[in-house]
Amino acid sequence: MVEWNFLAVLADADLLLQGLVNTLKVTFLALLFGIPLGLVLSLCRLARARFLSMPAAFIVEFFRTTPPLVQLFWFFFALPILIDVRMTPYIAAIVTFSIQSAAFFAEIFRGGIQSIDRGQWEGAQAIGMNHWQSLRRIILPQAVKRMIPAFMERSIELLKTTTLVSTVAYTDLMFQANDLAQKTFRPLEVYTVVAVMYFVVIFVFSQLSIRVEYRLARSGESTVR
Amino acid sequence: MGHDWDFVTIAQNWGVLWVGLKGTLVIFSVTVVLGLGGGLIVGICRYIRHPVSRWPAMTFIEVFRNTPVLVQIIWFYYAFPILTGIEVDPFLAATLGISLNTMAFSAEIYRAGIQSIEPGQWEAGKAIGMTYSQALRRVILPVAIKRVLPALTNRGIEVFKMSTLASVVAYIETLNQAKLIADLNFNPIESYTVVALIFFVVLYPVVQATYALERTLAKGD
Repeated sequence: MVEWNFLAVLADADLLLQGLVNTLKVTFLALLFGIPLGLVLSLCRLARARFLSMPAAFIVEFFRTTPPLVQLFWFFFALPILIDVRMTPYIAAIVTFSIQSAAFFAEIFRGGIQSIDRGQWEGAQAIGMNHWQSLRRIILPQAVKRMIPAFMERSIELLKTTTLVSTVAYTDLMFQANDLAQKTFRPLEVYTVVAVMYFVVIFVFSQLSIRVEYRLARSGESTVR
Repeated sequence: MGHDWDFVTIAQNWGVLWVGLKGTLVIFSVTVVLGLGGGLIVGICRYIRHPVSRWPAMTFIEVFRNTPVLVQIIWFYYAFPILTGIEVDPFLAATLGISLNTMAFSAEIYRAGIQSIEPGQWEAGKAIGMTYSQALRRVILPVAIKRVLPALTNRGIEVFKMSTLASVVAYIETLNQAKLIADLNFNPIESYTVVALIFFVVLYPVVQATYALERTLAKGD
């Protein structure tokens, strides 16, 4: 029978908590840059001008169909040589996950915008708004409300994907776990504790998103996926 | 952009990359079958209103959906052997992590599919003398699975991308071999670009086919 010994993990609990903070930091920053970038990408993709819609479509499809780990390696190992910049694991992670989640957010924005009835555009035009005004004041506020559940789901996916940064030695929760498991020779306890930590954080967010979705459904709001 | 692109080295190391591609195909085939197949069983267990099947299925789904797949793979690689005494190689660890994760996600897809079927279908099955399991197997599931086919295809695409995570426990797949080539020939740009392109070229048509499938099914329903 295995003897569980959590003392070694508890002694270094602050390391794991620091890792969790870093995980949340990367997730937050990737969302901060990823959401506006996703909006820009979706508007370009919806534009009539092909010189806008085609590159945007390519970027979206490319980042949706390639594995995030490959993207991270590309931005961390390849990009610095290509454009001669210094790349830290932290910057590489934020760049990768911002663009990667932007590609997914772009599709959510597109679905949301397209789900709005044509009459709303026509109504806005009828009271003298131009395209941008209609988009900003009439279409987007309605579309965003419908997109909230899909947004939350994507954000949770992003939080889980950030574990990949441990492979380029950024001190997120996963990295701290690897470090601690090697130092304490207690991989069973360390990885179990870390799995539980991820579970608690992600479970809370999922429950929150289920509740929000339920409330939106009750208020008669249709949602997009 | 003063970089001299050199894809010749990649071409010369094609054999190394080929070994990786085969590794990717093997782990993808195994995990996609186990994940989507096992998910059907878990999804049915979760659907049936019996506590003995429902609670374990629900716990399984919540645990594997709410933890990152990389944590699962690493847990199976380093922690699971200590707990059980079973020896785990990189292939087994990655297979367990990816398959169980996919089972949990696809279980919810199947459940949503079954729940979307009108009660009238169940009643019709019963009316012509079918038992519960007969109605489920012959009437409900064929329609339900057809409805969730696009979601399942999307899961399959995710599984293909997830296979790269096996490189973290040193299973020999495409990304692992690309890293090897990059480290030996100092050409990370070309190596990782080629891997990204391989995934794009394979998955892009699949994604397009999924869109087409969605449109066809939307028209039929």
